[in-house]
Amino acid sequence: MKNFLWVIFPYICLAIFVVGHFWRYKYDKFGWTTRSSQLYETGLLRWGSPLFHFGMLGVVMGHVMGLLVPQSWTDAIGLDRHTYHLIALIGGIPAGVAAVVGMLILIYRRRTVGPVFSATTVNDKVMYLFLAAVILLGIWNTIAGSLLQFGGEYNYRDGVSPWFRSIFTLQPDADLMAGAPLGFKIHALLAFTLFALWPFTRLVHVFSAPLGYLTRPYIVYRSKDERVGSGVGSRAPQRGWDKSELKR
Amino acid sequence: MSDATRAVGLDDPLTNALVGTRRFFSKAEVSEDKRSMYAKGGRSGDSFYRDRWSHDKVVRSTHGVNCTGSCSWKVYVKDGIITWEAQQTDYPSTGADRPEYEPRGCPRGAAFSWYTYSPTRVRYPYIRGTLLEMYREAKARYGDPVVAWGSIVQDPEKSRAYKSSRGKGGLVRSTWEEATEIIAAAHVYTIKRWGPDRIAGFSPIPAMSPVSYASGARFMELIGAPMLSFYDWYADLPPASPQMFGDQTDVPESGDWWDAGYLIMWGSNVPLTRTPDAHWMAEARYRGQKVVAVAPDYAENVKFADEWVSTAPGTDGALAMAMGHVVLKEYFVDQQVPFFEDYNKRFTDLPYLISLVPDEGGKGYRTGKYLVAGDFDNPERESENAMWKTAVIDAASGEVRIPNGSLGHRFGDEGMGKWNLDLGDIDPLLTLHGSSDESVEVQLPRFDSADGKVSYDTRGVPVRRVGDHVVTTVLDLMLAQYGVRRDGLPGAWPADYTDPSAPATPAWQEEITSVPSEQVIRLAREWAQNAIDTEGRGMILMGAGVNHWYHADQIYRAMLVLTSITGCQGRNGGGWAHYVGQEKVRPIMGFQHMAFALDWHRPPRHMNQTAYWYVNTSQYRYDTYRASDLGTDAFEGKTVMDLLSQSVRLGWTPSYPTFNRSSLALADEAAEAGMDAPAYIAQQLKEGSLRFAVEDPEAEENHPRCLSLWRANLFGSSAKGDEYFLKHLLGTDNAVSAREAGPEHRPSDIVWPEEVKEGKLDLLTTIDFRMTSSTLLSDVVLPAATWYEKHDINTTDMHPFVHSFNPAIAPPWQSKSDWEAWKAVAKRFSEMAADHLGTRKDVVAKPLWHDTPEAMATVHGVVKDWKLGECEPVPGKTLPVLAVTERDYTAVYDKMTSIGPLMEKAGMLTKGVAYDVKREMDQLRQRNGRAHGGVGDGQPRLETDIHVADAIMHLSGTCNGHLATQGFKFLEKRTGTQLHDLSAEHEGKQITFPDVQAAPVPVITSPEWSGSESGGRRYSPFTINIERSKPFHTLTGRQQFYLDHDWMLGMGEAMPVYRPPLNMTNLFGESKIGEQNELGVSVRYLTPHNKWSIHSEYQDNLFMLSLSRGGQTVWMSDRDADKVGVRDNDWIELVNRNGVVAARAVVSHRMPEGTVYMHHAQDRLIDVPLTERDKKRGGIHNSMTRIMVKPSHVIGGYAQLSYFFNYIGPTGNNRDEVTMIRKRTTPVEY
Repeated sequence: MKNFLWVIFPYICLAIFVVGHFWRYKYDKFGWTTRSSQLYETGLLRWGSPLFHFGMLGVVMGHVMGLLVPQSWTDAIGLDRHTYHLIALIGGIPAGVAAVVGMLILIYRRRTVGPVFSATTVNDKVMYLFLAAVILLGIWNTIAGSLLQFGGEYNYRDGVSPWFRSIFTLQPDADLMAGAPLGFKIHALLAFTLFALWPFTRLVHVFSAPLGYLTRPYIVYRSKDERVGSGVGSRAPQRGWDKSELKR
Repeated sequence: MSDATRAVGLDDPLTNALVGTRRFFSKAEVSEDKRSMYAKGGRSGDSFYRDRWSHDKVVRSTHGVNCTGSCSWKVYVKDGIITWEAQQTDYPSTGADRPEYEPRGCPRGAAFSWYTYSPTRVRYPYIRGTLLEMYREAKARYGDPVVAWGSIVQDPEKSRAYKSSRGKGGLVRSTWEEATEIIAAAHVYTIKRWGPDRIAGFSPIPAMSPVSYASGARFMELIGAPMLSFYDWYADLPPASPQMFGDQTDVPESGDWWDAGYLIMWGSNVPLTRTPDAHWMAEARYRGQKVVAVAPDYAENVKFADEWVSTAPGTDGALAMAMGHVVLKEYFVDQQVPFFEDYNKRFTDLPYLISLVPDEGGKGYRTGKYLVAGDFDNPERESENAMWKTAVIDAASGEVRIPNGSLGHRFGDEGMGKWNLDLGDIDPLLTLHGSSDESVEVQLPRFDSADGKVSYDTRGVPVRRVGDHVVTTVLDLMLAQYGVRRDGLPGAWPADYTDPSAPATPAWQEEITSVPSEQVIRLAREWAQNAIDTEGRGMILMGAGVNHWYHADQIYRAMLVLTSITGCQGRNGGGWAHYVGQEKVRPIMGFQHMAFALDWHRPPRHMNQTAYWYVNTSQYRYDTYRASDLGTDAFEGKTVMDLLSQSVRLGWTPSYPTFNRSSLALADEAAEAGMDAPAYIAQQLKEGSLRFAVEDPEAEENHPRCLSLWRANLFGSSAKGDEYFLKHLLGTDNAVSAREAGPEHRPSDIVWPEEVKEGKLDLLTTIDFRMTSSTLLSDVVLPAATWYEKHDINTTDMHPFVHSFNPAIAPPWQSKSDWEAWKAVAKRFSEMAADHLGTRKDVVAKPLWHDTPEAMATVHGVVKDWKLGECEPVPGKTLPVLAVTERDYTAVYDKMTSIGPLMEKAGMLTKGVAYDVKREMDQLRQRNGRAHGGVGDGQPRLETDIHVADAIMHLSGTCNGHLATQGFKFLEKRTGTQLHDLSAEHEGKQITFPDVQAAPVPVITSPEWSGSESGGRRYSPFTINIERSKPFHTLTGRQQFYLDHDWMLGMGEAMPVYRPPLNMTNLFGESKIGEQNELGVSVRYLTPHNKWSIHSEYQDNLFMLSLSRGGQTVWMSDRDADKVGVRDNDWIELVNRNGVVAARAVVSHRMPEGTVYMHHAQDRLIDVPLTERDKKRGGIHNSMTRIMVKPSHVIGGYAQLSYFFNYIGPTGNNRDEVTMIRKRTTPVEY
């Protein structure tokens, strides 16, 4: 059981995550969308969406720091545990609060605004359930674990983080999760489940964030592809049709 | 920093810096100013739109709908799937210096391809489950389909079982074999048991797809079943047109609006209902045209107009009368305008003499009959048809003269060369005022009191004595009728325009219509002055807003006075422009002969549908009034049903089923008795041993048994009194709560059983491509091809071209074109007929027809009834025409698919013009091939829809220049004037189906119509009459303001008169408009067209349902809504005696107080809940209406007031209805 939960299941989820995205991109290119509901409602969206998204960016940064950076590294630069937590909390609490508040606004909007609710699919609802659960549990872990210290202090950097890294170094160690509090365990399991759902939901839009727009000139001209095998236009030759030749 | 020195770069520094980094991330070249980037390739995403808009083929087609648009479309097909459509652009040109037909095509047309694959597409044949089970069982038992059918319909329990389940689901999929077998069996059985006229077919508006119309019509007429009319039934037929012009409807094409100097849109919402043509109206304003809109609501067209005349609904007649008053006073009395005088002397009946008769009550005189040559001493007294030659007084000699061109000259040898409008040396006197010292007082009816009852004004007219007759002119009577005072004439006259006491002053109309007098006076002056300045280029676009009222004929006559006395009729850019329905089949002659199988049997059985349903859905039983309650004291003691049955027995109006015995049996009886069938029937009728079916409509032998609908949605659209149809015709759930007439209101000539059978109809068949209210109620539903899946042709009144339908794809699933569907039925029918019917003789009773000598049956319009012993029953004179034809029922399929020999033997006859078509028949043999074997051996084939289309076009002058010229030459002998040059320019031209497949083709000027397109001019009606002195098809040969039939005189409608909307409180006990009670508030109930619920895009279109309320709606004013606590989008319920509607309210200040709109043809398929009152499914717009027959519409056998199919008939009017409206208080359930 232990091995299933902390070794097999994460790998299954990650495999689905990777292959699923590939499959989605290949077969559902025109469905690769968030199905924006901005047309139906803007007032709540204007507040909820930036709060949530920027909050989530902070949360993700926090996870990068907490999960991927080994404690030995921070120890090496002389960052003591207290200072580390202080930094984590100062950065993490506002981000977490922003994400949660944003999420609540968005969920409220999605349920109460008729046209938005009508445009919500079962797929969306399932995704929201897992996303909300993961976020809320994460917040709970932070509050319960770091601030209130229920059931004694737990240093996830001793357990959860090495376990997480062990998955990616292909030396999975299920025992590292044995001592983790239940909240952390469920958070991790739900997060992996969410990764498995990811490619089939609107979450794919994470990979099409319009970063290029930051540096894009106003007008983009695309001339014909002049590489070998492409002639006039860039459309692939259609069966039964000869390509017309256009010489300069 | 000035522009000159500003650095190259983007506007704000952050963006500038960010974009400046782009060159590090991209191979693409970034311009120096950082505004653009030049990439190579990366265009694979283009396939998104390239594939989206790629297609395999483009096919020309159009939509066979009654919208008058007649737009040609490109239909795009990809992978065998119809994907979208786009507007065609290759229309003929309208000529230099004027806007073109192209571009045309509206959003409704562009939405049609959705229907090909819509969820409500009928994909397979369906049969009512309970009926199918019974049939299969019976067939297993008896073997023979006809016997099996008989065993079901003869069993009262079985019939009740399947009839009462109509409209409640339970249609199951079947096969074409089984479905056609049941249809054929029912038809064979009905002919055998009851006679062929117990069957009927209904398909409307042939112009929208004449081949598809002809499919079932040809089958029906071959078996002897009547085709039901549509134009009168839809209340699209303006009875004023036959009354005044002797013509069904002939109107200008929309391109002619451009020619008008003054344009009034009166009850016609042009941009909404004539969308692709509205541009002419908008463009003509740039040319200086003044545009006026008359509408009760702030309608779409009002926005385009220079002036809005806002009348109270249904009061347009008063407005028109007041405008007429001003024109008559200022341009006929105060001054004489040569342009008007010349026109009226030649082209209207204003100078014609009317006899006045002493009033029985001793109060002066009443208006009487036209003075005719046979009435007084003159050289023509003994001439042929002397009783049909009307008279004028010659100004120079002062003698009474008989001008050419009256009905008496139209028929008979003596009239040859004299049926024309040449006055010769006659200068008719328009008025006797000034030339005659004598005057008498005449009783003139008015109906403007609150209850709509008649009262009389007494006014003087100048008279002359001719023999025993006291006569005056029509103009003198009109001036009296309109209250235009002249010096020296006695009587009560309104003092001036500001006198509201009497018709028809501007002040009088203001109290009725609420339109300010000043506006009316100004409009009337502008109208008349424009006519003088432009020589008759004033046009009134009139439509259903006016034409659907009970007294619409009177409103129209008052409006047509304006166009005719000012010389606007018969001009380009002038006259009436009645646009209600796509009534004009330009190749009418070929169409009629093919559709009604006149190549095999004559005469056809043609029925006016309004009377048909008035009788057969038992609506007459709910007439809680007498005919004399409708205004005048005429028809004392009679009901409307009495008058209808009198009209039937005198041969005025058709009636099927005709007799209370089978028309086949009557032929046999006559043979046994050794008599001619007509004589035998006349004798039987006189003895009383034979009766007309209409005299006992509830008897089982006298009502219809089989009805087929195709291209029609009777039960979701046109059935005025829909709930009565459900109750009496179909025998299923209904919401009728009206009470039947008590003994004091019952007809005297009609058998009146206390209990009547419900569910008269044995078989209802519908052929359609989408599920409608009609298919849901049907017993058999056959899947039809859509307009993108068959060949056909299309014409309208609004454009002078013919164009084609073509299949973009083969009919999908199991659908078939109408032509193939009816061929399948005909084939099965012919096989079964071998055992059951064989060859039979059939006596066809046909009414006295217009444009034939039969129209001279009633001298002076004096009614003589053989039943009352006032005359003898004589077929074709005082009885219907009775003709015997032999029907070989086993050969119906062979006849349907070949053109019969009567074409060569008897030729063709249309509107009084005869044609020889031997040449055309040979051409068709060459073109379509010859039939082999059977009765049609050697005749031209009529196998395919293209064959039919080509036959129609070869057999009409509009598409065949040779025939048109031949017809004009025939007519020239009668008129003595030259006409054939009108089409001679196209003598060698034949429009064929491949021609119209290539592009829309303009038609040829033909005697089938009254206007000319010669030399490429725009079509306007009556231009041939005006320019070539060809008489109108009326008694006088002129446009007639005066109608002297007994019934017209009795109804007080000899001349135009204002008649208010019917008083539903008096007639039916409905609440007065504005009254409130527990059912809500009482309002006028109107059913105009919605832009999005009919005509190529229907209410069931998913996109439109999503954008609007998702189901039926009713529009009401904010003030009415306040009264009953309704807010926008609330559920409301309408209740009156006819039915119940459950819908959502659209509350808008656009609506006038006291009036609600429920838009036409909102079917009951989608989002129609159970009603609060009955807990049954809510109704359609026509659940609140019922049939109201106006007696004057069933006058017949008298000059232009003679019957022809869709030419004249009682209208299915529906605008006078009222209803209660309230907010729904209980939860909405389905």
